[in-house]
Amino acid sequence: MADRPALDVHNLKVSVGDVGILKGLDLTVPFGEVHAIMGPNGSGKSTLSHVLSGKSGYEVSGDVWLDGEPLLVMDVDQRARAGLMQAFQYPVQVPGVGLGSFVLEAGAAQGIAASDMNEKVSAAADAVGAGPFLERAINDGLSGGEKKRSEIFQIVALQPKVAILDEIDSGLDIDAVRDVADAVQALRGPGVGIVLITHYSRILEHVTPDRVHVMMDGTVVDTGGPELADELEEGGYQSIRNRLGLTSRAPDPGTTDEGSTPFDF
Amino acid sequence: MAGAPESIVDRLSDGGPDWLATQRKEALASWASQSMPTSKEEEWRYVDLDFDIDDYRPVDGAGDPLDIDEFSGAILATSGRATVVDGWPGDVEPGRVNLGTIERFLDLPSVTDRYGTAVDPAQSIFAAAQRALAPGGLVIHVPSGVAIDDPVVVDLQAVTPGSVSFPHVSIVMEENTEVSVVVISRSAPGIDVLHIPTIEAFVGDAGRLSLTTIQNHDRRAKSVANHKIVLGRDSTLKIGEVGLGAGYGRQRLAVDLNGAGASVQMNGVYFGDSDQVLDYRVFVTHRGPKTASNIFLKGAVQDQAQAVWTGLVRIESEAVGTSAFETNRNLVLSEGARVNSVPNLEILTDDLQCGHGSSSGPLEEEHLYYLMSRGLQKDRAERLLVRGFFEEMITKLPVKSLAGPSREAVNRKYGEAQREGRV
Repeated sequence: MADRPALDVHNLKVSVGDVGILKGLDLTVPFGEVHAIMGPNGSGKSTLSHVLSGKSGYEVSGDVWLDGEPLLVMDVDQRARAGLMQAFQYPVQVPGVGLGSFVLEAGAAQGIAASDMNEKVSAAADAVGAGPFLERAINDGLSGGEKKRSEIFQIVALQPKVAILDEIDSGLDIDAVRDVADAVQALRGPGVGIVLITHYSRILEHVTPDRVHVMMDGTVVDTGGPELADELEEGGYQSIRNRLGLTSRAPDPGTTDEGSTPFDF
Repeated sequence: MAGAPESIVDRLSDGGPDWLATQRKEALASWASQSMPTSKEEEWRYVDLDFDIDDYRPVDGAGDPLDIDEFSGAILATSGRATVVDGWPGDVEPGRVNLGTIERFLDLPSVTDRYGTAVDPAQSIFAAAQRALAPGGLVIHVPSGVAIDDPVVVDLQAVTPGSVSFPHVSIVMEENTEVSVVVISRSAPGIDVLHIPTIEAFVGDAGRLSLTTIQNHDRRAKSVANHKIVLGRDSTLKIGEVGLGAGYGRQRLAVDLNGAGASVQMNGVYFGDSDQVLDYRVFVTHRGPKTASNIFLKGAVQDQAQAVWTGLVRIESEAVGTSAFETNRNLVLSEGARVNSVPNLEILTDDLQCGHGSSSGPLEEEHLYYLMSRGLQKDRAERLLVRGFFEEMITKLPVKSLAGPSREAVNRKYGEAQREGRV
């Protein structure tokens, strides 16, 4: 069953009020594969990850299956227990709730025995270097890089079927990107489909994706192998637009997707 | 103790020192000139009292003491224990401090000069009645240079239905002393009582007092506490407060930072449910230069409960180089619950650092989303957040062994409401 989809998204449309954000998105991520989703700011990448996690405030239509189960009817917590979890781009600080005890609670919510969960927590903390954060409140006083590490630690410990890693590499220096990439490699395996949402291709130097999807204006406009990331590295999103004959949207203020390279280290 | 207050005062003072009789008589006169407070008075704003002190009866002796509770039971090593039932000091197990009723201290001017002087009877009808009708109170005296780690535990109990009782605890610390005192207030289950305790403390120069108050009355009890602490030079005060019980539970706390370099840190939690009213009035006065205050309480209300917190920090003109911070955060867990949270700073010098903060609202949606996105059911996530909200204060309670029962008490209140679908 090598090609059994962990995540199957069909014609996903999402809007907030009158504003359409995702406009009929299709995406299939088989178990055992890492799929990178790349796209300029405002293309809908983060909306996709929040909608898949079940955050409120969006109008959603279309179909999403998580290992064959319909996802969109589930509440946020049910989705996680069914096996979909996200490493957040901007995780909140939760005062007074210790990271270690929280992950143990999350394990208990999935029905994992406490002794098994303890082992998973130690193993994940070692693998990701999150040991120092376990006794602290979630994200309390952590640097940007430490927050990413804390997020990926939770995913490694809780072993979802689908891991959505939203800009897990943003705001990090090169060494930290390598560390996070190592953690993604540790997560990789036959029981999980990984969605690696990223702005830049630099993490893909360390994690070779099975497929690369380019998102623009709410849909996947191109899909290919790792060579697609190389094309982006060289020519930016404009090169993709030119090749596909897409007209350029007006640039969002403060974004770097037009003209010059987005790969500024 | 049937009869008019005059005859009660005479009987209480019979055979005692003249100065105490005079205190009682003056307080009695003050009582006669006052009436029950209304919400029109600044110190009583936001609350409407639905009882009258005259509806309750003073008693002339202690009823049967209660069994030990989870708070005093959690403190294994103590430097003394005392029980006060219906206002009457009962069993005293002296430890390393001088602990006993005022009668034992009549030859000690540092006690007799101060006893009963901290709270002004003119402050309220309750303060006046307390001073007039309190039997000889409990004294904790720490001789100069003595430092004691393990806490002195004082268990104030109200057990006689329909009674009004006036426990009095006087803490007198000489120079360069250290002591920790835990005062638990509680009442017998299901009885309507009015409990009017006063704790007064006089902290000498370079003294270090830790005072933890636990208010765990039955829901039918009313509690009106008036506490005052006066601090000398370079002394420190740590206060922990846990407010759980009583239909109406008030604590008026005044802290006077009189000596240069004196400081107070207060951390506390309170949790009101059903139709409880928890009413905190904190007054800090900075008189000495380079004094510091940091007041931080966190509370939650659910059902139809109400919480009131007013903090008034006054910095006198001579209190230069002062720092003063007060914060109050509240969780409002049901629509019918409400909070009045009013921090105030009154500043008469311009050489200081100060700040205040106040907030009241439901659990943060973003926090819930985060916890649930890892698979926690909503109710489990909410419990974790409520627990986390209080944790910051509970870990700062000065007596570490009280963290466990305090945590359990607030978690239990919320857990029960969740199970019954009230939040």
